[in-house]
Amino acid sequence: MTRRRCWLTALGVVLVAWIVGAEWVSIHVGVPENHFIDAAVGLSFVLAGLVALDRRPGNATGVLMIAYAVSAYFGNWSNLNIAAVPMIGMIGAQPSGAFIAHAALAYPTGRLRTRFERFVIGLIYGVNAVVCVVILLAFDPRADGCTRCAWEPAPFPSRTAVLTSLSLSQRAAFLTVPLFFLAVWLRWRRSTPAERRDLIPLWIGFAVVGLVYLMDGFASPDTTADQFSYLMWELQSVLQISLPLIFLWGLLATRLARSAVGDLVVAMDRPLLPGELRAALAKALGDPLLRVLYALDDGDHWVDADGRPESPPRPGEGRRAKAVTVIDRAGGPLAALIHDPALDAGLVRAVAAAAGIRLENERLQADLRAQLDEVRASRQRIVEAGDRERRRVERNLHDGAQQRLATLVLSLAMLRDRDGVDPALAASIEATTSDLKQAIAELRELARGIHPAILTEEGLPAAVEALADRSAVPVQVRTDFEGRLSEPVEAVAYFVVAESIANVIKYAQARAARVELSRRDGVLLVEVSDDGVGGADVSHGSGLRGLADRVAAVRGTFGVQSPPGGGTLVRVEIPVPAER
Amino acid sequence: MNAAMSAATGAADVTAPAVIRVVLADDSVLFREGLARVLADRGFAVVGQAGDADELMAAVRGQAPDVAVTDVRMPPTNSNEGLLAAQRIRAEHPGVGVLVLSHYVETRQAIRLLRDAPARVGYLLKDRVSDIAEFAEAVRRIAAGGSVIDAEVVAQLLRRRENDARAKLTAREQDILELMAQGRSNAAICARLYLSQKTVETHVGSIFTKLGLLPAADDHRRVLAVLTYLRGS
Repeated sequence: MTRRRCWLTALGVVLVAWIVGAEWVSIHVGVPENHFIDAAVGLSFVLAGLVALDRRPGNATGVLMIAYAVSAYFGNWSNLNIAAVPMIGMIGAQPSGAFIAHAALAYPTGRLRTRFERFVIGLIYGVNAVVCVVILLAFDPRADGCTRCAWEPAPFPSRTAVLTSLSLSQRAAFLTVPLFFLAVWLRWRRSTPAERRDLIPLWIGFAVVGLVYLMDGFASPDTTADQFSYLMWELQSVLQISLPLIFLWGLLATRLARSAVGDLVVAMDRPLLPGELRAALAKALGDPLLRVLYALDDGDHWVDADGRPESPPRPGEGRRAKAVTVIDRAGGPLAALIHDPALDAGLVRAVAAAAGIRLENERLQADLRAQLDEVRASRQRIVEAGDRERRRVERNLHDGAQQRLATLVLSLAMLRDRDGVDPALAASIEATTSDLKQAIAELRELARGIHPAILTEEGLPAAVEALADRSAVPVQVRTDFEGRLSEPVEAVAYFVVAESIANVIKYAQARAARVELSRRDGVLLVEVSDDGVGGADVSHGSGLRGLADRVAAVRGTFGVQSPPGGGTLVRVEIPVPAER
Repeated sequence: MNAAMSAATGAADVTAPAVIRVVLADDSVLFREGLARVLADRGFAVVGQAGDADELMAAVRGQAPDVAVTDVRMPPTNSNEGLLAAQRIRAEHPGVGVLVLSHYVETRQAIRLLRDAPARVGYLLKDRVSDIAEFAEAVRRIAAGGSVIDAEVVAQLLRRRENDARAKLTAREQDILELMAQGRSNAAICARLYLSQKTVETHVGSIFTKLGLLPAADDHRRVLAVLTYLRGS
């Protein structure tokens, strides 16, 4: 059972208790009527309202039917002469008619559409509110004969005022009832033939209400009086019981689906922003938690609208059970709607069909995004693999060739220093050592170019300062952090600085350069600036272009400002996860 | 060359212990063993060998050597644990000098070593061991309380200062500066470059004037002052 159903069940229990309790009060104070039938009217409204809430979650009609039942049975409770109960009962019973009028005018979508409709319903609620205020200010239960009421009399107790306001509110009906029917007539006139068909249950409802009013004069709940009158009364009650069922039938009829589909088609009639399709579908289906997944490779993979991989849940999986409706197109799966299992399957398919081409477009975009993500990820992997390879080569050189050569140099030195070595041999060893040291120096520079040891050993700030130490143009370095970053980020930032400084030395004719490294808000900012001739161009020269590519691979941004004669500024921002 | 070296050795004006006790740390056994033999031949007592930083710290604690010679990059992370160990040794065992060897020299590392403990530290390229006498002399100077910085560091710093007219040193002055950075006294520099004491003193004075430094009394402070100035920090 879903959470929503649990709540609805709990609500149902409370409401049934409310109505049965109210009926018990009527029996207790001896109201002469058939209590079974009277309770059945209320229960039918409550049950119809609950079903409507369950099956049409976004529709207000269910709420209004329940509100009517709750309000109407306040009247029964007001017979209980305890404390403030009579007054609360009178106030609570006031708006019951307004709720029914509201439900009728808002039928079948549960929404009032025009300003006039809202005005009419607002007026009816307003009249009720005025009466409630008068009751609150002037109703005195003791004057009304309630001797046991512990309620302090109202501020201005006046029986006349209460009775007058009640009678005035009845007179107001001479205004509100015609306005109400005018609104209904206008609604009818504006409706398309299809919408008029949807209104048929409403007309049946009106007919029933009219019949009830007609019979009111003949009916009497008193079993001991006229047999005909009592029969009329029972018939009237049965018609009242049928009223909410008629509403419910209309609400659940598939024609309502068409009006949701119609709204959706209207919403589709303009370009949609990303995510709007999901919102439109969710609104049409009345399921705010609706999700849409798109099928890639004939349903082998599923992604959301942003192209992120995600699998549709299996039925019954997760804390809240979800239903999955797969939409097929041209023989293969197109999309999957993950929705509340209470939704009508036909309605879901109708809505998906209405979204048709939009779903297809969104799937193509999701596919594109998924591919773009994959390309980005693979570019990042390629660059990272390259860096890893550079580190590995540098490490192998360090632990292998460089270490062996250093040992060799030591061995030669020992050989040369041995007693009794032929001077000619010693000189030859000396020359070899000298060559070997030259080779070691060259190897050192080579390894440094491949991947500087200090970057691995001490991180970015230290490596950048080492670059500055070695630069022919004076470079000032400013760093606002000390910690380590991830290896790919350190490598990219390092090569940005290295290449930029190399460019400064080669082309800029600068007197000085500056490097700034700063970390804030999860971003590493690298700026290399000089006071040289400027005029650098990213599109020419593979150096800057290659840097831009490397930066993009770690999802960073790369910018160069280099006006002729105005120096060059290379500015790179790289998102950095957490400190290593 | 050989003559110059022996002269330099003989002219050492520091008082090193009679037999210098040395601990060696390098993850290459071959290199370590070679170094141990060379130092033993030169009259050093190699009292311990280590393959990583932990073993080095243990050897220093156990043997209390005069000098610990260590590689920068060692297992397990193959990063800069040798350098960190060197700094720890200087902090925890003030009587033990350290000589850090590396395939690379970085000014920043040199200055960090010197700044934390200006005396009894050395920082040399690994292939400097090709000149055994020179290398032994460096270890000896550290044992006696001096400091030794690789000529390459000074060269790097001077390259940076090339555009600075004020600090334009003559070739001879640069030679002397490099030797100063290696922790040599004026007397040792005289012997090394075949110059009179007077000439060297004149050059040193000129260097200090050009760099705008006050002449420093002891040799290792002189090293630090020169490096710090050159780096411009």
